[in-house]
Amino acid sequence: MMPGRRVAIAGVGYSTIGRHTGLSSDELVRQSTLAALDDAGLRMADIDGLATVGSDALSNAWMMGIAPLHWWNSTLQAPAFVYAAHQAISAIASGFCETALALRIIQQQPTGKKLLSGGGKSNPMTAGLTHAGGDRQFLVPFGAGSPVNFAGLLTQRHVSQYGTTEEHFGHHVIAQREHASLNEDAFFRDRLTMEEYLASRYVSKPVRLLDCDYPCDSGSAVIFTTEERARDLDKPAVLVEAASLVATRDIQFEILENMVETSPHVCAKEIWARTELGPDDVDTAHLYDGFSIIPFQWLEAFGFCGPGEAGPFIAEGNTRRGGRLPMNTDGGACNVGRRHGANFCIESVRQLRGECGERQVEGAEVSVFTNSFGPFCGAVLLTRG
Amino acid sequence: MSIELSAASPPLPQPDGLTRFFWDGVGEGELRIQCCQDCGYYIHYPKPMCRRCQSTALEGKAVSGSATLYSWTIAVQAFHPFWIERLPFTLATVELVEQPGLMMASQIVDCPEDRLQAGMPLEVVFVELTPELTLPFFRPAAVDPEDAR
Repeated sequence: MMPGRRVAIAGVGYSTIGRHTGLSSDELVRQSTLAALDDAGLRMADIDGLATVGSDALSNAWMMGIAPLHWWNSTLQAPAFVYAAHQAISAIASGFCETALALRIIQQQPTGKKLLSGGGKSNPMTAGLTHAGGDRQFLVPFGAGSPVNFAGLLTQRHVSQYGTTEEHFGHHVIAQREHASLNEDAFFRDRLTMEEYLASRYVSKPVRLLDCDYPCDSGSAVIFTTEERARDLDKPAVLVEAASLVATRDIQFEILENMVETSPHVCAKEIWARTELGPDDVDTAHLYDGFSIIPFQWLEAFGFCGPGEAGPFIAEGNTRRGGRLPMNTDGGACNVGRRHGANFCIESVRQLRGECGERQVEGAEVSVFTNSFGPFCGAVLLTRG
Repeated sequence: MSIELSAASPPLPQPDGLTRFFWDGVGEGELRIQCCQDCGYYIHYPKPMCRRCQSTALEGKAVSGSATLYSWTIAVQAFHPFWIERLPFTLATVELVEQPGLMMASQIVDCPEDRLQAGMPLEVVFVELTPELTLPFFRPAAVDPEDAR
């Protein structure tokens, strides 16, 4: 069972989202927070806690007139949005605050071309880099160090160990694009064919460009509060049924001892231990898709399919609209742009409220969203209140 | 800052008190991995304490250089100009034979892509990339370490 008070989601919102928008981090915070407050029917003064990945909690709170703040958290090295969500849930469950804002603020990284010309000086892979110290000295001089390289390693191991094929990944990418075609907020809405997927260029083989999320500027905000308070609001309450945050080691993806069962396998076990619900009760799943291999691991970790069976499970159409487990119904980060899992919390809330229009999963009562894999990750199981 | 591609230098390791043994070993053609003198546990990447027994008595110990291939990826895009002219190259996670789960990130050389196979036996090979940078890469083992025993 979950410790402490029952937590609910009151409101969700996005900033303007686009490629190199020129919007400051503060502006992404302002826009997404106001959108979430408006969605919840709450005022700024109702917020007394703030967790953020990608911005500074105290400076954000001061800017927006949130005072006093009873609890806050800012971090970067964490499983993205689900980390902020988990902090907010913990703070409310424990009673340290009543209503907490969880943010994921992303300013688009420099492009590969810019890195090669020596730009993006704070980036660990820029041409301006002459030395690598600490743990990075065992990676960067070897020509490694980009996330797409470790995605290649984890993907290849799944291929080697389970016989997963390129077409399996293609089926996943095609299904996500089919969902995106029904989402007017997606960057990419044209349906894809298997031929188009297989013609997409490799970045770090077997990972293709279409297996990677799409970089952009984005601000995402979710307001968590107590169940009691959420039930007083106009919109249907969405309840946190179970949550789990897991780190199985430090951030070194490239030297994981086991690349097919990583932190999601621990995290999913914890989720099922904290609820009476099980895999068959989940109506729609929103599994982080920074790279295609990630939702494959989560499908297996949760037991939606057997070990190594994510490829065939997806190829059979189970994750498509109308399938057994419609997955990433907003189109995923490959199509709606990098929002680091916040989009999957927000899409879950909208599905459970029945707000998804053409892409609505009929009668959705239980949804799960996740972030990351490898060394650390998190998941939250949500129900319609 | 702009850098000519042809003149690009690779990013170099920056050894410190904890890691110098590794790079000294590479310079002498020997692969050394940090090992706990109290419990014999190997630790990579190096740390100031043993994560198994909490000892601080640690040393860089020469290992056989024998490994098996755990996974790999063919880099076809590089993010540093030095590596652009060397594309494609094969990044890999190898498991050193000294200890189950003792993984190391490196490159595989002298092996066509269609011969790469999980579990294949490898041996370390020291490759001088520039006068300033020699790296311990891996290649298919001349002799299967299982047969050698």
